Amino acid sequence: MILKVLLAGDGGQGVQTMADLICRTAFAKNLEVTHIPNYGLEQRGGASLSFIQISDDKIGYPKFSQADLLVILSNQGRERSLQYQIDSTKIIDVKELKNEIEDKKINLQNLNIFFLVLIVKIFEEKNIFTAADLYVQAEEKLSKKSNWSEIREIIKINIK
Amino acid sequence: MSDFIPVKFCNGCGYPVILMLLNKILKEMDLSAKTVLGLDIGCALLAWNFLPVNTFQTHHGRVTPTMLGFKRARPNSISIGCTGDGGAYAIGMQGLAHAIKRDEPITVIVVNNTVYGMTGGQVAPTSLHGQKTETSPEGNDDYPVLGPEFFKPLAHQEAFLARTAANDPKQMMEYLKKAIETQQAGHFSLVEILSFCPTHWKTKGAETINYLNNLKEVFKPGVI
Amino acid sequence: MSNDNKKFVTGGDMAVKAAIDAGAQMMYGYPITPATEIFTGWVKNKQKFLQTEDEVSAGFAVCGGVLAGQKVFTATSGPGHVLMQDGFIMAEGMRLPFVLFAAQRGGPSSGTVIYSQQEVMLACYGGNGEGMRLVYSPSGPEELYSLTRRAFNEAWQYRFPAVVLTDGYTLKTKSIVDFSFIKEIDNFPAYPLVSEEKVIHWPNIYTSEEELNRELVSAKTDFDKVTPLVVTSEIVQTDDAEILLIAHGIVAVAAKDALAQMRRRGQKIGLFRPVTLRPFDKIALDKAVGNKNVKKVIIVESSYGQLARLVKDDLDTTLGKPFEYIQYPALGIEVDEMITQIKK
Repeated sequence: MILKVLLAGDGGQGVQTMADLICRTAFAKNLEVTHIPNYGLEQRGGASLSFIQISDDKIGYPKFSQADLLVILSNQGRERSLQYQIDSTKIIDVKELKNEIEDKKINLQNLNIFFLVLIVKIFEEKNIFTAADLYVQAEEKLSKKSNWSEIREIIKINIK
Repeated sequence: MSDFIPVKFCNGCGYPVILMLLNKILKEMDLSAKTVLGLDIGCALLAWNFLPVNTFQTHHGRVTPTMLGFKRARPNSISIGCTGDGGAYAIGMQGLAHAIKRDEPITVIVVNNTVYGMTGGQVAPTSLHGQKTETSPEGNDDYPVLGPEFFKPLAHQEAFLARTAANDPKQMMEYLKKAIETQQAGHFSLVEILSFCPTHWKTKGAETINYLNNLKEVFKPGVI
Repeated sequence: MSNDNKKFVTGGDMAVKAAIDAGAQMMYGYPITPATEIFTGWVKNKQKFLQTEDEVSAGFAVCGGVLAGQKVFTATSGPGHVLMQDGFIMAEGMRLPFVLFAAQRGGPSSGTVIYSQQEVMLACYGGNGEGMRLVYSPSGPEELYSLTRRAFNEAWQYRFPAVVLTDGYTLKTKSIVDFSFIKEIDNFPAYPLVSEEKVIHWPNIYTSEEELNRELVSAKTDFDKVTPLVVTSEIVQTDDAEILLIAHGIVAVAAKDALAQMRRRGQKIGLFRPVTLRPFDKIALDKAVGNKNVKKVIIVESSYGQLARLVKDDLDTTLGKPFEYIQYPALGIEVDEMITQIKK
């Protein structure tokens, strides 16, 4: 099994946090994982992309040209990730989820966690790891944050 | 400026206000067409497509010799170099010193935020004693260089060296104007401008302005 | 974050760990993306350091430390790598064990802060004169670690300055490393090249052509003696290969993936991977290219032919195999992309 995941958003949306949590969880489950962020000139405000690969076997080259799963959190993210889409790419796009985000009253600050949960649903289907697995890592990394109780709720609702 | 150019500076950065006031002065003096703006490779590089003025990037620390080269080739231009405190007083210090010593008729704008911004916040030649950065985690044990004061002994009598701040627009415009007039009279000019950097100062809102005002205790605004 | 002996770390973390394990005592640095993390990583590990005013000073400070017998190093990239040649050539001229991490980014000029394989010539031959230097090109984080350990040892043992040539992608990629790969090896000790016990007078400029010529002959003789002891390359499935790929560094990582995929489809692909770029494994290169099964050789790199130049320089010209080039200057080469290009 190998899964190529591309997260694409704006700097400041917490894309790297998402990547970090996915990677920690995969690592804790004894999976192989690599992560490389994009990086450019701006300290703030540029696009933030994360290339993640999860596999049972050792992974070689960290980047890829075609994503299996593409998660788009912003317009800039969408533009910058177009080249990594192919017909079979599963796409989770913020613009398709506007209503759901509103209905569930997801705070902008927690948008990345909301997306993380959607990603984990797919990972559960593929037997990679579960929301419960993610929760363990989220608690370790984020429990001291001011918005921890909201984060906890968003993840916990999805634990079976 | 007719077209909207998306700004890549961080929110709260001092560069946009500095560049816009520079533009204002150039327009008032009707010198936009003659002006050439050279940029250091640091946060200054982000201004490359910002103003309706010929602009090019140079190398980190090499803005001064580049702009004196341009000016010597085209003496009726207004040759301006824009750099940060690292480009001016660390890697660029030697080039700057010799341009001042030779009284090269160029204008150097030094945007001083006391830190290396674009590489993620390392110590700079103007970092305060005790300032914590990525490469001074226990607090800077060195003291900041006061650029204009340091170079004064090397400078020609008619050269203009001054310091102002991003939150003193009136003074900034006065000094920028005087700097350009000094160039037109054939002498070197340098304006150091204390600038906001909430990203690496880790400040928010009014904290950022207070931080800048506190810097004025060490880096005294005025004509040197 | 750990699991037995496994950690999720960046290439930069591995470089820093290797320097610490090698017994390095001091680092001079100047911030430049993407080498900055080696500097800040070293600082975070509470090691001795100084941020100089530029790369020129960093380079000469390293020379000074080495002369006093300190295991000292620096790290840079791109335009900083160019400036670093100033100090590095003094190390070549005086046979100083200068250790340099050179992280390749796009060039020329400020290029990009990101990635390339465009500093091969600079790392191998960036000086004036024919200075003798050791250049290592690691493929992946484990090799970045081991080659760094070698660089410190071989620089001090054989008295040649050494470059660990890496790139922005390798340094920034986080992956799971099983630290049990690390073998206990001895560190060759640093020793003062100038000491109080003995007075020496040491030039790097000579008054006549003959004097310099003698120094150059001597350095080359030593380098040639050391070559069989340090020269390293890797071959992958070259015995029956009909297409031979040549790649180094992170591009070789992708090449191995491409090779595995193409082999599963029955295509006979092999790989020659130079590990030391200086000295270059000429013997293994000729053997791999000269193999009777090889119908063509493809050199793959993220530059306009810098690896190709090294290969051509060392290759036995009588072998007569056709060469092709996959050149993506300053661009990463993904596995799929490489396979597509090889098929063409």
